[in-house]
Amino acid sequence: MTLDPNDLDEREALAALCKRLGDDEFVLAERYTEWQVRSPSLESDLALSNIAQDELGHARLWYDLLIDLGYEEPEIVYERDADEWHHSTLVEQPFAEGDWTDPIVRSYLYDVAEKLRLATLEESTHPKIADRVGKIQGEENYHLEHAQNWLERLVADDEGKERVQNAVDRLFPYALTLFEPVDPDVEDDIVDLGLRDATLAEMGEEWLSVVIPYLESLDLDVPESGVEGMDGYAVTDEMLPEHVGRDGSHTEAWSDLFEEFTHTYHDLGRDQSTKIMGRPE
Amino acid sequence: MIWEVFRQEKKGDYHTHCGNVHAPDREMAKQFAAIQHGRRKPTNSIWVVPKDEVGEIDTDDVPFGGTTDKAYRWTTAYNLQTEQAREVEESDSEQQEAEKQRGEA
Repeated sequence: MTLDPNDLDEREALAALCKRLGDDEFVLAERYTEWQVRSPSLESDLALSNIAQDELGHARLWYDLLIDLGYEEPEIVYERDADEWHHSTLVEQPFAEGDWTDPIVRSYLYDVAEKLRLATLEESTHPKIADRVGKIQGEENYHLEHAQNWLERLVADDEGKERVQNAVDRLFPYALTLFEPVDPDVEDDIVDLGLRDATLAEMGEEWLSVVIPYLESLDLDVPESGVEGMDGYAVTDEMLPEHVGRDGSHTEAWSDLFEEFTHTYHDLGRDQSTKIMGRPE
Repeated sequence: MIWEVFRQEKKGDYHTHCGNVHAPDREMAKQFAAIQHGRRKPTNSIWVVPKDEVGEIDTDDVPFGGTTDKAYRWTTAYNLQTEQAREVEESDSEQQEAEKQRGEA
């Protein structure tokens, strides 16, 4: 399939998909960079900065597809209203101050979801999506391995384990919002058009079936351990936090973060974003 | 714990010492080294070695070779005004190369 430039449903579906993907990556990277020069060691600092840089690069690949649809760069990032961002509320949460387990747990929860969702895009009917997945997957393996290596070591002593447990309790409900719809009709279109080959419900179930056993294997309590019924795992409404992000509803932390990264742009009276490189291939 | 890092640029090259990383164990050391020493330069393989496992012997322990002046072996006394035999020219350029490597050129 090639995108029909005149079909509004197709355009809307593609735009929604790219915003889901790009916004998650962009906002997560914004948060990760807060650890720069504050991580527990030089090495962990560089590793997390590197991951942040990867995620920014991935955001760029997804936002670039919006440019194909006629979007201008400033309206994608600096001039978009805060309530038109569709990232999951997991990625906008402020870090518990000085708690290294927070970015690690967050990264684990996020990177499992990212791995699963990239797999659902491998066969996308939109050729540019399918092309870009491979490049991203190469870098994502490192992210997940990094998070798991840390988790396994952090739970090895009592204090570390307690901190990891607290981070899991705090972040898990927000992670479930990764599988919420931007708009239910548009999400149906995304799947019907073959842009992505799994529904959000399927992806949520798969995520739970990976994350819960893994965290339990580290002897951690998982908030939704009990959800495995006859039909397996499922994300239900009761498990979700008040703000899910995908639909534009965000937590208070988002307005602060948004203000912070758009501040300079407005302060300098800019109407264009700085271009430091050409469009990705 | 400090791990010394050795980077190999291409398959078949020697692994060359390029720095170190702090890491609690081998797995983490490999992961950190990949980012710190393998991200910016062409890299085919990286070794990480616990610093304590590196055996060292230095000038306090042993008089190393390579310090005797063997300039008398060189053909510098010849006056190379005319065209020389190929062997002489090759020998001359080898000596220049050797001097360069010793930092004397």
